[in-house]
Amino acid sequence: MKESNFVSAVVYVHQCGGHIGDFLARLHGLLADNFKQFELICVNDASTDGSVEAIRAFAAGAEGPMVSILNMSYYQGLEASMNAGVDLAIGDFVFEFDSTVMDYDPALILEVYRTALTGFDIVSASAQERTPLSSRLFYRVFNRFAHTQYDLDTERFRVLSRRAINRVHAMSRAIPYRKALYANCGLKLERLRYRPLPGSGRAPMARERSRLATDALILFTGVAYRLALWLALVMMAVTLIVTGYTVAVYLSGSPVEGWTTTMLFLGFGFFGLFAILTLVLKYLSLLVDLTFKRQNYVFESIEKISR
Amino acid sequence: MQRWDKIIIGAGLYGLYAALYAGRKGERVLVLEGEDAPFRRATYINQARVHMGYHYPRSYATAVKSAGYFDRFNRDFGFCVHRSFDQVYATSSAFSWTDGEQFEQFCRAAGIRCDRVDAGRYFNPGLCDGAFLTEEYTYDAHILRDWFLERLGEHPNVSLRWASPVTALEREDPVYRVGTQDGAWFESPFVLNATYASSNQIIRRALGPEEAFGIKYELCEIILCTVDKPLSGTGITVMDGPFFSIMPFGKTGLHSLTSVTFTPHMASFDPLPAFPCQASSGGSCSPERLGNCDSCPARPETAWSYMSSLARKYLRPEFGFHYQGSLFSMKPILKASEVDDSRPTVVRVHSHSPTLVSVLSGKINTVYDLDQVLEGEIDS
Repeated sequence: MKESNFVSAVVYVHQCGGHIGDFLARLHGLLADNFKQFELICVNDASTDGSVEAIRAFAAGAEGPMVSILNMSYYQGLEASMNAGVDLAIGDFVFEFDSTVMDYDPALILEVYRTALTGFDIVSASAQERTPLSSRLFYRVFNRFAHTQYDLDTERFRVLSRRAINRVHAMSRAIPYRKALYANCGLKLERLRYRPLPGSGRAPMARERSRLATDALILFTGVAYRLALWLALVMMAVTLIVTGYTVAVYLSGSPVEGWTTTMLFLGFGFFGLFAILTLVLKYLSLLVDLTFKRQNYVFESIEKISR
Repeated sequence: MQRWDKIIIGAGLYGLYAALYAGRKGERVLVLEGEDAPFRRATYINQARVHMGYHYPRSYATAVKSAGYFDRFNRDFGFCVHRSFDQVYATSSAFSWTDGEQFEQFCRAAGIRCDRVDAGRYFNPGLCDGAFLTEEYTYDAHILRDWFLERLGEHPNVSLRWASPVTALEREDPVYRVGTQDGAWFESPFVLNATYASSNQIIRRALGPEEAFGIKYELCEIILCTVDKPLSGTGITVMDGPFFSIMPFGKTGLHSLTSVTFTPHMASFDPLPAFPCQASSGGSCSPERLGNCDSCPARPETAWSYMSSLARKYLRPEFGFHYQGSLFSMKPILKASEVDDSRPTVVRVHSHSPTLVSVLSGKINTVYDLDQVLEGEIDS
């Protein structure tokens, strides 16, 4: 019995001409066996290695499915490209394949989908593998400081309900980092872990990941704001101590002429400067919140109890 | 051999309009139609829009022309026009060639009604950046057909021949000789080719391929739906790109559902329309003579699942709609019009005395472009 929900599979394609055909064939095989209707959307992020030709060759040989290639005008990275792909998708459920490395049994795709049907709007699959130190550090800092409902982790692919996509669009003007918004959208999320099959290669790291990491930390955690605020306060304290010291020297002995006034002026000036900086930081963090977030609260569901 | 003042090939709206126009002047007119009834193809099988121009935000010329004819069409054929519904145009946030502000500007420039409404009233969050109440109607092809048949019946000088596909067209000064499948021959100093998707086949019988229109052919599906109450008095069109439209279909009580991506099932870029499905059409269809896609045994499977998913992605859940049936027809699209998405009505005069004119139009209310030709005021 095939599923009657319409599903879309959005695949990020960047320089993977070597194995994209194989990936699509396996993905298509699984979807065709289990879904009455589906579409494949390949987001081509300025590939120059024949990836597009490989997709066309696959589409020409495959039975039935609607295959779309969304060509990005120039390299725009994983997040922007996948946002475009999901915007184009029409399915009731949308799969996001961030990478074309399939180091899992295709049946896992179905398992992820089935899990979604049990009441999770977002279900992801992540490999149990050793991630690079930088990734681990990022996720640790992020999860510590971003008050998201769920922790983030590296993920290979995920499925989203239409409800989750609508929710994320309603919450935020832009989607600079999908995972963080998904984890924060207030709907139920589940993560399936799998042991990567040996010899299937590692998913490549996105080129722009350090920029992405900074953006994510600034937008979704208060970490940068708090760090700056804390520094400003420390500086203010130091300025106060120096001012006190200047007064003490003035009272206890005879400093060089002009030293006391210079020091007092500097102390006063810097104290004011750091005080203003603290206020500016507060303003900036408010502005980020106001421009970036559309809704002030998120909810999971409304339960009406009546007799 | 029968001699006529005018021979009109094709009994769609353009053909019958021309026949009535000439018939009223007392001319002897013959209409030759391949099907066994009028309005069997494109005049019936389309979105049934009486265009005001909203569809062409990137082609001011097309828009202004549609708007100009809009009132006249509603005056002349108001009896078949359904007006009492809210026609909503919206611009999609993603992948649209035109955004809400640009659309508003365009409407102002074209002088057509465009009142901004809250997009959230109709669409899921974030999907449309502008929604507008507009003035646009839909016509009922069957009511229009019956009206034409009745009017034409009052003119004994107009003769209608059904099931008479044209198989030959020859110039023999000072007339054109037209031969039909049943072996009959007719002649006239004026022949109007109003066969839409079959225009090129007719042209090529009389003239070389260089006179043919540069068109691509698309086999298109219109889905007819029953709709839930919230949608019943509303038509919705999401523009300007790979989107959809669901709007009342004449006075039938049904809505038509179409989408830019899924309505065309197949396309042919050949000079004459060659499609793989012709092989299984039971001989009724070939590049030289197109059959009726709607009654064809090789009619494609419906794209309902795709079109409905696309529409459901945009529409709020209360705007429910349900599959009723599909209509298929062949649509010729002028190759030149893809960039600006204009849909010009092309009237091409192939020869003078004897006169052979072809008309190609995708819109119902530009039918008045024929007036000049029928008055004999033609220049090529």
